[in-house]
Amino acid sequence: MKEVGLALTFLAPSLIIFSVFFYLPFIRLLDWGRYKSQRGGLSYRYVGLSQYREILTGPEFTDGLRHSVLFVLYTVPAGLVLGVLLAVAAHRPLKGIKIFQAIFSSTLASSVAVSSVLFLFLFNPAVGFFQVGWKEDPDMALFAAALPSIWQNLGLAFVIVLAGLQAVPEEVMEAARLDGYGPFRRLVRITLPLISPVLLFLVVVLVIFGFQAFAQIQIITNGGPAGASETLVFKISRQSQNYGAGAVLSIGLFAVTLVVTFLQFVLLERRVHYGDE
Amino acid sequence: MATSEAGRGVSRRTVSVAGQYLVLVLLAVVVLAPLLLTVIQAMSPPFLYVEAGKPLHPVHVDWKERTWFTGGLFSVVARTLLALVVFTWINKALVGWDAASARIGLGWRNLLATVGATVVMAVALGPAFGSLHAADGSSEWWILGAMVLVSATLVPAALRPGRSPGAAVVESLAVGSLVTGAAVVFVGGVVWTQAWSSARLGPAMARSMVMTVSITLAQVVTAVLAAYAFAFMRFPFKRVLFALFMATLLLPLEVTLIGNIALIRQLGWINTMPALILPFTASAFGTFLIRQGFRGIPPEINDATRLDGYGHFAFLTRFAVPLTRPVIASFTVISALQAWNQYLWPASVVSDDRYNTLQFQLRSIIGNNVANANVSIAAAMVAAVPVLILLIAFQRQIIRGLTAGAVK
Repeated sequence: MKEVGLALTFLAPSLIIFSVFFYLPFIRLLDWGRYKSQRGGLSYRYVGLSQYREILTGPEFTDGLRHSVLFVLYTVPAGLVLGVLLAVAAHRPLKGIKIFQAIFSSTLASSVAVSSVLFLFLFNPAVGFFQVGWKEDPDMALFAAALPSIWQNLGLAFVIVLAGLQAVPEEVMEAARLDGYGPFRRLVRITLPLISPVLLFLVVVLVIFGFQAFAQIQIITNGGPAGASETLVFKISRQSQNYGAGAVLSIGLFAVTLVVTFLQFVLLERRVHYGDE
Repeated sequence: MATSEAGRGVSRRTVSVAGQYLVLVLLAVVVLAPLLLTVIQAMSPPFLYVEAGKPLHPVHVDWKERTWFTGGLFSVVARTLLALVVFTWINKALVGWDAASARIGLGWRNLLATVGATVVMAVALGPAFGSLHAADGSSEWWILGAMVLVSATLVPAALRPGRSPGAAVVESLAVGSLVTGAAVVFVGGVVWTQAWSSARLGPAMARSMVMTVSITLAQVVTAVLAAYAFAFMRFPFKRVLFALFMATLLLPLEVTLIGNIALIRQLGWINTMPALILPFTASAFGTFLIRQGFRGIPPEINDATRLDGYGHFAFLTRFAVPLTRPVIASFTVISALQAWNQYLWPASVVSDDRYNTLQFQLRSIIGNNVANANVSIAAAMVAAVPVLILLIAFQRQIIRGLTAGAVK
């Protein structure tokens, strides 16, 4: 009996925080979604579930979702390819390889805000090294906001893939070499399948990062031009005065997160090789 | 016949090794390109009226610092010390001098390279900066002299047995001049101090520091306690409670953002520290990770301590935590990194620039004034320095933490 009390004491701090800052806001969002804000959020009118239908099928949600998915498509494959490329290049017994490994993982030291500021001026039409007007181009704005993420994710992708490569037993590669497999075939037929759990993990992490993207968009394009780079999270943050619509968008994001998580594990898990299981 | 075959094998291997290095160097340049280009941008004030339409370029580097101590944490003195620490670390890595091999590898050569070259650089940078202050045109010679001196100190360590003297000299020259040059750029350039003071990075960094330390400490404590309960204690509804913990992973900040902002407004906590800290003082990820660590403790240890009359609290503090220190360390570093890099939440609950955290401060200083572009860029790079130090100091923990979910 004493143990139960002690266990609850140990769990209490986390439980309180989770209730107050995770579950309570979420439950309130479910409720607020049924109220429509009037007069700029000063009062609310009950409209029931119709607001869900209205917003989730409207441009606010679908555009945001489209931009979020595009952002993920810009950043995730690039992160995966760069991570594998750098890790394969740096996973060899050369002298001084540690220095190259340190350089490749160095982008870990930057935050999203830092890398966004760097890229903002790198591509500035007036003072940048690459004087391009991507920020003002509706087709390129989102890509411009994705660039700092691609660069910043590179360090993480490298570190994760390298850890996977280092876990591959040397005997397996040696056997493949003796069987006359060339370097490229070894990579595609042996290494990549063997590290597929690691690649799955990387994809999951990068997709989560992609859907969470906010700072890079606020700093580089601020959603513009004319909303062409407003992702779902960006749109949610813009509704912080309008609890009704904001709540519906948030629930929409929650549903998307659930679906994506589910898809990742059902679709990718099947293709992943987990060794002796 | 046999010898020529062997000779061809060797030369082919040499070519292949050289090719691998070439690829690595190319990749390193690509990875570092944004950084190198922005350093150049930071060092070069834009002359919009003179060179309209041309990118920033390092034509005029303002070297003159007011005094050595202005800029607080980012004064020339602090920066010199930082440069020396980084240099020592690079040296250590180069000569392969770590704690494990200290007994075998610590000859006078390695000692001279690591300690001697650091001291030489510290001494040689003095007159180099002095000449920059004096602006009498002798700076290049002082800087070149410093480079040669530092390189010369590195030669004995690079001259390992079975190594051609030429290669050793080239390696020492490359490392010595690169590091000394970097030290001059990062310590001598006035733009770093400018960025530090005009962007008010000091107070913002202090707030970020308080926020990060509080969040990290709280997360580690709450996660260790909860993980212990889940790993070693029996209580009703354990599975339900664990599921309740893990389900919070499906409620990222982005989903509950509106609800949390409303809550903070109702509490009247806008622009306060509690608003920045409290929502993040528990972590389901940390609970999970540390619980996995606790489960790796052999049950015999638990049984033995029970027989010895240890209670839960004594077992937790004397056995469970010390035995899982690597896992807890990894989680601590990851948690600190996340807290430090937060952006969306500070941007949502801070409405007054005076209460900005560092990351969000970066955004408010960009403005539209391209004439200050170099200061903004410098500010962004200065903002990355604490993480860089963390990364260098806790490389192993960070990498273990980042890959915790990836490699079993």
